Amino acid sequence: MAEFVASMLRSGVPIALAGVGVLFAVRAGIFHLGLEGLMLSSAFVAVAVGRGTDSIWLAVGGALLASAILSVLYWWLIEHLGADAVIAGLGLTTLSVGGTAFFLDVIFDVRGRIDSRVALPRPVRGADDGIGAYVTELSILGWLTIPLVVVAWVVLRRTRFGLRLSAVGSFSYGARAAGVDEPRVRLAAMLCASVGAALAGVEIALGGLSAFSENMTAGRGFIALAAALFGLLHPFGTGLAALFFGSAAAIGVVTQINSIDSVPRPFILMIPFLVTIAAVSFSSIARRRAIERRSRAGLA
Amino acid sequence: MIVARRSEVVGRIVPVVLAIGLSLLLFALTGFDVGAIVDGIVEGSLTGDGALANTVRWTIPLVVIGLGVGLSLRAGEFNIGGQGQFLVGSLMAVWVGLRWDLPTVAAVVVGMVVATVAGALWSGVAGVLKVAIGADEVIVTLMLNFIAIQLVSWVTTGPLRDPLTSGDAASTARLDESLRLQSSGQFSVVLIFLTLVLAIATWLLVDRTKFGWSLSATGANPRSAEWWGLPVRRLRLATYLLAGAFAGLAGAFEVFGPSGRVATGATPTVGFTSLVVATVGSLTVFGTIWAGLVFGALQSAVLFLPIVTDLPPSGLRIIEGLVALLITAQFALVLRRRTTRGDDLTAVDRERPDVSVGDGAPGSELGD
Repeated sequence: MAEFVASMLRSGVPIALAGVGVLFAVRAGIFHLGLEGLMLSSAFVAVAVGRGTDSIWLAVGGALLASAILSVLYWWLIEHLGADAVIAGLGLTTLSVGGTAFFLDVIFDVRGRIDSRVALPRPVRGADDGIGAYVTELSILGWLTIPLVVVAWVVLRRTRFGLRLSAVGSFSYGARAAGVDEPRVRLAAMLCASVGAALAGVEIALGGLSAFSENMTAGRGFIALAAALFGLLHPFGTGLAALFFGSAAAIGVVTQINSIDSVPRPFILMIPFLVTIAAVSFSSIARRRAIERRSRAGLA
Repeated sequence: MIVARRSEVVGRIVPVVLAIGLSLLLFALTGFDVGAIVDGIVEGSLTGDGALANTVRWTIPLVVIGLGVGLSLRAGEFNIGGQGQFLVGSLMAVWVGLRWDLPTVAAVVVGMVVATVAGALWSGVAGVLKVAIGADEVIVTLMLNFIAIQLVSWVTTGPLRDPLTSGDAASTARLDESLRLQSSGQFSVVLIFLTLVLAIATWLLVDRTKFGWSLSATGANPRSAEWWGLPVRRLRLATYLLAGAFAGLAGAFEVFGPSGRVATGATPTVGFTSLVVATVGSLTVFGTIWAGLVFGALQSAVLFLPIVTDLPPSGLRIIEGLVALLITAQFALVLRRRTTRGDDLTAVDRERPDVSVGDGAPGSELGD
């Protein structure tokens, strides 16, 4: 049980961080498929900077910077050159898959995997009994996830920027009529997403394994996007959705630790993806119901 | 539309040239010999021993899947599950070839039919979810890709495993030579012929039938298509089935053709590349074939490059990623930016994503 909860929390953290970030972009009307690539690039930059400087702070800073630069490029292509967010986003992800593998080869002369020399601190490491066993593996970013979710909620619900963001995504003409500078709001939303993606990438590379390996995000960026949709684009909902996807991933971890092999392993590794399909279907039904309710009430 | 307008062709070539140029610049800055790389690309895709055959070998799956992707995109559906549909098709084909014990010709034909149906059904899952309840097809098809990859790893380590392989190199047993339409380094007349038949059929379908016209109308403006009385939902579902059928058939081509088996680690990422191919080809049949040849040549060259230069194979992914990143950008807008910008130019105003977060939407009920 402790094993399951611990790995559910650990698997859920990167999905929550990236999901809460990306919901800003989705709310602003950008279907951010570059998220996976941002996470992967951030993971690589964190490990690379960590190896060069031996500083965890510079590693995190480097990841944030790399993610922000790529996000601005992605935003610029969409905003000013009319690029399609889906295809350009998949391109950004592929570019990151290729680019990280390329620089791994060019800078460190290895293919596949490289160990990190820095790692995120784990505040309660060593507490193995009772509640402690659940959280002993949680990195500092794991502990910061809940405060960050709350901050995201405050920004979205209680600031002028958050309200403008939702206006831009859901009622563009109204937002424009109200004098909102839409491109800037979308840029800010992309930068929020870039922070979430960078932290998620750092967590994946430096939270547990302390290594970078090619394509190590393995679709978790797309799952984070699904978590934002499943969480109905609400920070708390997204956090809960991330925990739910974390539990799907934890099944794989727990069965491997206990070497349960009554079901072939590939089928267990499929679970998070199957669950994601179910969740996306569910959230779209929920969204439809809400729209129907609105139109019945004469609001739409 | 078999060929795109000239301005559109230029608009598609510029990003590809730009992407290749930027990649070569990156390779030069990181200390690689660009001259050797360019020579290697030419030799590995055109002039070298068997290079042209290899280019065609890689072009075939890209074009076949790309034609289906083009149909989807034409109808406004982002079916990006080509990779998964391709893998499921190839698994079915290898199963039929290894286990069904049919006479030679029948095994190949039945294998292709079964793979086509399997690909259509795999894609149909996403189609039904999209059409019936509006589940986002981008995420669903992506997830189906990941599931198909796991299926491959199950089949290659379980039911159809070649006992001599394991781990990352796990693979199914090889098909009997008599079932193969092509061995490596050769042109396969049958596969080239079938690909051309598919291309012509797609062109007729898109350009000469009411169905094709309805697809384009649906993609251009779903609402007005509905007002005209077009069966929009059924049309959309049909594009999923067709795209999946094409990709599944491409999987069968791969198995009965050049590879003869399904392997875990060595699966080429034809799914994503064919999305790029369809987009570069402006969703037209002619354009898709041209773009397929370009990317088939690059793929063929990448497998040859390690012989002449130490450029890592990830170099190709960089080129593909850059092409996809830039291909939908309208570079003409850079020049026109100073003048007024029409509302229709902002891609973010489009219908996707279908997320309303205004009053009464589910988002506002959760926490406040």
